[in-house]
Amino acid sequence: MTEFDVAVIGAGPAGLAASIEAARRGCRVLLMDSNLRPGGQLVKQIHKFFGSKEHRAGTRGIDIAVGLHREALEAGVVFWPDTSVYGVFPGGALGAVRGMLGGEPRGVVVRASTLILATGASENAVNFPGWTLPGVMGAGAAQTMINVERVLPGRKVLMVGSGNVGLIVSYQLMQAGADVEAVVEALPRVGGYGVHAAKISRAGVPILTSHTVLRAFGETEITGAEIARIDESWTPVPGTSRRVDADLICIAAGLRPYARLAMLAGCRMTYSSALGGWLPLHDRAMRTSVPGVYVAGDVGGVEEASTALEEGRIAGISASERLGMIGAADAARDREEAEARLSSLRMGPFGRPRYDAKEAIYEEGANACPRP
Amino acid sequence: MDDELIVCRCEEVTAGEIRRAIRDGARDLSAVKRRTRAGMGLCQGRTCESLVVRLLCKELGLRAGDVAPASPRPPVVPVPFGAIGDPDEADH
Amino acid sequence: MPSTLTTFGYPSLDELRSSPGYPARERAEKGPVAVIECVQEIPCNPCETACPRGAIRVGIPITNLPALDADKCTGCGVCIPKCPGLAIFALDMTYSATEAALSFPHEYLPLPRPGDVVVAVDRGGKAVCASRVLRVSDRPANDRTAVVTIAIPKEHADRVRGIARRSEGNDIG
Ligand SMILES: Cc1cc2nc3c(=O)[nH]c(=O)nc-3n(C[C@H](O)[C@H](O)[C@H](O)COP(=O)(O)OP(=O)(O)OC[C@H]3O[C@@H](n4cnc5c(N)ncnc54)[C@H](O)[C@@H]3O)c2cc1C
Ligand code: SF4
Ligand code: SF4
Ligand code: FES
Repeated sequence: MTEFDVAVIGAGPAGLAASIEAARRGCRVLLMDSNLRPGGQLVKQIHKFFGSKEHRAGTRGIDIAVGLHREALEAGVVFWPDTSVYGVFPGGALGAVRGMLGGEPRGVVVRASTLILATGASENAVNFPGWTLPGVMGAGAAQTMINVERVLPGRKVLMVGSGNVGLIVSYQLMQAGADVEAVVEALPRVGGYGVHAAKISRAGVPILTSHTVLRAFGETEITGAEIARIDESWTPVPGTSRRVDADLICIAAGLRPYARLAMLAGCRMTYSSALGGWLPLHDRAMRTSVPGVYVAGDVGGVEEASTALEEGRIAGISASERLGMIGAADAARDREEAEARLSSLRMGPFGRPRYDAKEAIYEEGANACPRP
Repeated sequence: MDDELIVCRCEEVTAGEIRRAIRDGARDLSAVKRRTRAGMGLCQGRTCESLVVRLLCKELGLRAGDVAPASPRPPVVPVPFGAIGDPDEADH
Repeated sequence: MPSTLTTFGYPSLDELRSSPGYPARERAEKGPVAVIECVQEIPCNPCETACPRGAIRVGIPITNLPALDADKCTGCGVCIPKCPGLAIFALDMTYSATEAALSFPHEYLPLPRPGDVVVAVDRGGKAVCASRVLRVSDRPANDRTAVVTIAIPKEHADRVRGIARRSEGNDIG
């Protein structure tokens, strides 16, 4: 049995920021992640990030992760890499297995009076005939291969989805030496930021809005795909289908909160399409409906690394407040700054729908999530 | 989605099998899972869940927010069975 | 609102000209100047902090479009590698009687070398003309975003925004 004040699950930007804030306020913090390297999604992001100075904008994602990790260690956070948390037991103990990636897997039980869930998101799948063939993979998996494992999963790529993930991974596949034949997007508009779209457009990649993939060709691995224009009811327009040669089809059909541990912990769930689907209900201080359980980052609604950082900071402050490391007034003041930055990140055509969705959740959460 | 199309790749469950389960009364993810094994594979439904939701919506005229998330059971991540501990047992 | 940017993935000249980061033609004719092609309100502001002359303003909220004060801007290009959107360019219409010099961010390897003749492309990646590489800056401060400067015929100055990633399959036309 290992005891801590705060157990943080997930070492992405949210979990790292939460750990740092809690440890700096005197909490004994254990941070766990199933991967070897801390950083979550940041580990794969070799591009420079958006945001402002507080979010280290203009710095590459991977470098942001390295910096946060250093800060966490300096603050006294205990970090357990290669630790997969598989369950929350009644009473709040966590079951985890360490050493699945290296060495002998062994189970551990962690007890902490306060739990911060920062487990991130899952990629949505798209299925079409041939989608189970080798050569069809999630954009996240492709990104891990090129940027972490340094292997090129294909030379000619069809990207399905034009959100930021689809656009950025297309760009990075080209940087790694592949050709992106096209990006298809079912909606009539490009999903991600215009500047990311413009980057790959300049490289000659056609972004085909109102298009989808109908099937993948190939027997043992894929050799190409049939794509077609679709109408408003997503029905292929006759006569518009054509073949694209490809040895890799990447799926970037959006993310949804990965909230299984939150459900096991008994957190009340709520649905928001703007935030990716079902997520644990929470208030502005990142408290869930279960006393002592907090969420931060994509698990509480799919957004961005910058917002995940701010939510992590807030959750870390709230956890410290619950543990009596700081008073309620100090906690409220510390949270306020992060809250103000969060609001400013949730503006503009991309942020506004998330702002509205989050405000509705906070409002619902204000009654359902008990204060310490 | 054609009936032959695979929806759950871990357990090789097709769209047709899931449609049949829905027509036989499955109204949510857990019921579909019980009847077809879709979602019981190694990935624990991480891949197929959103596809099953789509079928449920289409067949029953629901919106995605009407389909409750599948209630998870530990282990929520694939871990070797022997390594799973007992919360009442000290390990140090 | 449908636009060229949201339908095809790159902004039209009209979209750009009505944004606060695109310098007026008359200003560009006078000497080097930054060209900011960032027309959506996204939460981002490194360009503002990057400019040593305070010529770029985002302000509060951080989703404001970057506005260029073309009178303060010298076209030095310091801001180019700092923009995570790779959306800033620098244009010098006074480079020579017939040619303009265009600087742009470039993150594909191998980098071109000064003196190379490369295919200049437009915002949609279409080949526009041949161009000469004048400078390639890959200083540590750029953090692995090289800034390439090419010479192009003046009439293409509003169109060319980069070079072909590979020359094969790109016919000049
Ligand atoms: C291609 C791409 C480009 C992006 N570009 C940008 C950008 O330019 N700017 C920006 O602001 N954002 C960007 N983002 C978004 C950003 O990466 C995410 O929003 C952010 O990483 C979310 O942080 P998080 O901490 O919530 O989750 P994550 O970073 O996803 O981290 C979650 C961590 O939890 C771990 N975990 C989950 N479950 C368990 C468990 N049971 N046991 C142990 N560990 C577990 C996971 O292994 C993971 O490491 C991008 C995302 C992608 C995919
Ligand atoms: S080109 Fe130089 S002066 Fe002009 S905005 Fe950029 S950094 Fe400032
Ligand atoms: S740094 Fe680039 S992407 Fe960010 S606001 Fe400035 S111009 Fe736009
Ligand atoms: S795809 Fe259904 S359980 Fe893995």
